[in-house]
Amino acid sequence: MIEFENINKVYGENWVLRNVNLRIEKGDVVAVLGPSGSGKTTMLRCMNFLEKADIGSLTFDGVEYDLHGISKKNVAAIRKKTGFVFQNYNLFLNKTALQNVTEGLTVARKMPKEAAIEKAKAALDRVGLSERYDFYPSQLSGGQQQRVGIARALVTDPEIIYFDEPTSALDPELIGEVLQVMKRLANDGITMIVVTHELSFARDVSDRVVFMENGEILKDVPSKEFFENPGDERIRSFLKSLSA
Amino acid sequence: MTERLWNILTDSFLKILVPGLKMTIPLTVISFALGMVIALLVAMVQVAEVPGLKQLSRFYVWIIRGTPLLVQLYVVFYGLPRLGILIDPFPAAVIVFSVSVGAYDSETMRAAIESVSKGQIEAGYCVGMSYPQIMRRIVLPQAFRTAFPPLSNSLIGLVKDTSLAANITVLEMFMATQRIVARTYEPFALYLEVALIYLIFCTVLTKVQSVCEKKLAKYGKR
Repeated sequence: MIEFENINKVYGENWVLRNVNLRIEKGDVVAVLGPSGSGKTTMLRCMNFLEKADIGSLTFDGVEYDLHGISKKNVAAIRKKTGFVFQNYNLFLNKTALQNVTEGLTVARKMPKEAAIEKAKAALDRVGLSERYDFYPSQLSGGQQQRVGIARALVTDPEIIYFDEPTSALDPELIGEVLQVMKRLANDGITMIVVTHELSFARDVSDRVVFMENGEILKDVPSKEFFENPGDERIRSFLKSLSA
Repeated sequence: MTERLWNILTDSFLKILVPGLKMTIPLTVISFALGMVIALLVAMVQVAEVPGLKQLSRFYVWIIRGTPLLVQLYVVFYGLPRLGILIDPFPAAVIVFSVSVGAYDSETMRAAIESVSKGQIEAGYCVGMSYPQIMRRIVLPQAFRTAFPPLSNSLIGLVKDTSLAANITVLEMFMATQRIVARTYEPFALYLEVALIYLIFCTVLTKVQSVCEKKLAKYGKR
């Protein structure tokens, strides 16, 4: 359904992504693991054009696009069919939780206000924030802010949601509530790619694990296989370092 | 205080205040409003890195900030007629003041716009918004709040700077005072009196500023 082929990204002398290929089917939940600096976040950002890949192509809904030369118009069109959840939430600070979620509907998609509010409330209810519609980000905990971020990505019915280390900025006691929400979405059949350091999520929720190192995908296998038979020494030592 | 002096002060109070209300305030308000339009445009052109216009903006800010306001008033009012451009005193003052406010406040606005986190702009793109939509709905409202205290500074500064327009025959408060001084020869008392009226104007603005800041604070700190 969505296929990235041969993504390459270079910063100066530094080859951040090398021949990255990834194919995602509808309903897939893909966890991206790897040591920091391995290119996970850059890959995700290239996928949604927040960074420009130097080489690469994307097939989306049967149409192939060049990741480097894609037009602004096509970028905007593809972004309207995707969602993105940031490590630092990146909520609009001058908007309430509800306004954060309606913005993409009323402004970007010209949906009538009433319908948008109804839809946004449903999305906030889905992430367990029915009591917080009118709170500003500054009045919410990190976990609540991230759940608003997820509702904001979810509300537009995207074909895929990209999660960029969604729990890495959270205090340990707040991680659970966010993972819980993501697990529910996965069970509901939402297609997602999750860059994460949460092994439990990768093991228990995701269908596939993609392991990256030095800008390359070393392994792309079903989760069960990844954890039961890591094979490669680099993967084993990575898993060891995280579980220690 | 002698009775004569007291009478001069009470008689002159209205004679100074009325030009204040009729000239100083409109001059300030109009110049500031136009100046803010210039400031916003000049700041946005730089933030959006519009080629050509960006360099032009830097050049404009450089020239205006680097030359005295009084000299600018003289150039426009006394100098331009040499080129056949005659401008009446009031519009000449409005032009000079708004161009000056535009230069200084464009820097304030630029800094305020740049202080809004890049992440929010990326988030705007990711929910499908366009650059102008993100600017208008997300960045500028927050930038305006950040810029509000320094912009208030600039407005209060402008109230007092309008006294320079006396030099190009705009009959504002200070010129009105100078005329009364010439007639009564009581410079000390009268100049203190006009200073007091400027102080009252600025005190009112300071109060308005703090009320507005409380309203703008509704979404809390970052």
